[in-house]
Amino acid sequence: MPKIMRQSAIVVRYHLLALAIALMFVVPLVWVVAASLRQPGLPPSPSIEWLPNPPAWSNYSRIFQIAPLGHYLQNSLWVVLLAVPITLVVASWAGFAMAQLPPPIRRWLILLTVLLRMVPLTALWLTRFMLFKYLFLIDTYWALIAPAWMGSSPFFVLLFYWSFRRMPPEFIEAARLEGMGPLRIWAAVAMPLARPTIMTVGVLTFVQYWSDFVNPLLYLKSERLYTLPIGLQILQQLDITNWPLLMAGSVVLMAPVLLLFFLVQHAFWPEGRLSGPYGR
Amino acid sequence: MVLLPTLLSFLLALTEYDAISPPVWRGWQNFAAVLQDQLFLISIRNSALFVLLTAPLRLLGALALALLLNRPQPGVKIYRTAVYLPTVVPSVAYALIWLWIFNPIYGPLNLLLGSLGLPTPAWLVNDKTALPALAFMALFQLGEGFAVLLAGLQEIPQDYYRAAALDGANRWQMFRYLTLPLLAPWLLLVAMRDIIVSVQGTFTPALLMTGGGPYYATLFAPLLIYETAFDRFRFGEGAAMMLLTFLSTGLLLLTVYKLVGGWGYADEV
Repeated sequence: MPKIMRQSAIVVRYHLLALAIALMFVVPLVWVVAASLRQPGLPPSPSIEWLPNPPAWSNYSRIFQIAPLGHYLQNSLWVVLLAVPITLVVASWAGFAMAQLPPPIRRWLILLTVLLRMVPLTALWLTRFMLFKYLFLIDTYWALIAPAWMGSSPFFVLLFYWSFRRMPPEFIEAARLEGMGPLRIWAAVAMPLARPTIMTVGVLTFVQYWSDFVNPLLYLKSERLYTLPIGLQILQQLDITNWPLLMAGSVVLMAPVLLLFFLVQHAFWPEGRLSGPYGR
Repeated sequence: MVLLPTLLSFLLALTEYDAISPPVWRGWQNFAAVLQDQLFLISIRNSALFVLLTAPLRLLGALALALLLNRPQPGVKIYRTAVYLPTVVPSVAYALIWLWIFNPIYGPLNLLLGSLGLPTPAWLVNDKTALPALAFMALFQLGEGFAVLLAGLQEIPQDYYRAAALDGANRWQMFRYLTLPLLAPWLLLVAMRDIIVSVQGTFTPALLMTGGGPYYATLFAPLLIYETAFDRFRFGEGAAMMLLTFLSTGLLLLTVYKLVGGWGYADEV
């Protein structure tokens, strides 16, 4: 009996510690939601506020009136709508091809993708700008979604590679014996089995393009093309001290990302190699 | 998409170019000018300081959290998700949020510190605290390293721990002689990626929160490169700064690599 008590005390202590740490990471985001609901124009609260009374939901409609955020939001959706499907097709093709290669080449390609992930994006600003200028892509969305044609991130290719590697090779072999070409095997056999990876990569791609601030800043010129992150910068320049509105804008920008992340969190955390449907 | 731009930017660094008239050959003049530029030297120093503050702390934090949240407890996935949340917040929103949190008078951080009777510094407005404040907010975005290390921990077969327990190893010995060596390649990977992300990740916060100030205290290399090339249209100088920045980043990476002593690449990835 004492042993059980001691063990449950350890469990309780563990959860208290983990909960405290989790709160440290989440509380700032809760503060933001509270701050976004504060009546603009009121003197700032002298203590930390958890729920303003009364909550000013009108802040959320105000920000769409003082800046064309609705239009920018539409633009952001267009960019994401273009980038996500292209990324999924290219990254899964590359991953599928890698999974079919003999081991020595494969290992080199994996090393290469890991190294490519190490390239600082800042190093590409100037030359991409010149490249896009000569291709007349400056001030178009093609400049923003250019990385999608390369799978958006070497990491996405690796994710697809891992999930294709975990599939029983007999499946692919059987399809090949039936006379299917690589494209048919990819579409009919491999992709349907990789559904969790498609979800994960899809969400990560969405996050990457939705949150992208630097590329629109560098490559877009016309105001009518601006995306939501640039809109938030404009909101900040309009009135840097109107915190309730700025926080409402931040919530609008981060809400879809957090929501999607919650939806796929189960596929996101590793379960260990030996569990799962395709354990080796 | 990567190799070609690097080569191009090297050529660009040897020219005078304003994105309108064709480039003019300048040889090594840009490099000489940039190396004598006080602002560039300040920006390199600030970037280095920022990386030395954030990268080790983020690595330690990610490792501690991965060890803590690797246990098969019910609800552990919720904690993992909570830890990852700040990492997925879009950079612009993250910068604005922390701009408000750091507000010296009514920001929640100083309200909290004040209610505990602790000193309430002016954070971003003071040139002594501005850079540490930006480093502090970057600490919470350690989700990527955390996820990678968690995956690394799960790759270690449980049998090893059972065998070690049979040999009478205590928990510290298991960590020191089992977990740490097996995790070493992952740690190196995370450390190197973290250094690179720390260098480029300073751009959005510096642009939106401090504008490089006060007194150039948060002028980081990416911000200076952006201003030189895209505000003042001096592409040649910008390219030279960029190459020098990445030369120094490369040297830092090489040092880390040498310190850890080569990496045993996991043979079956």
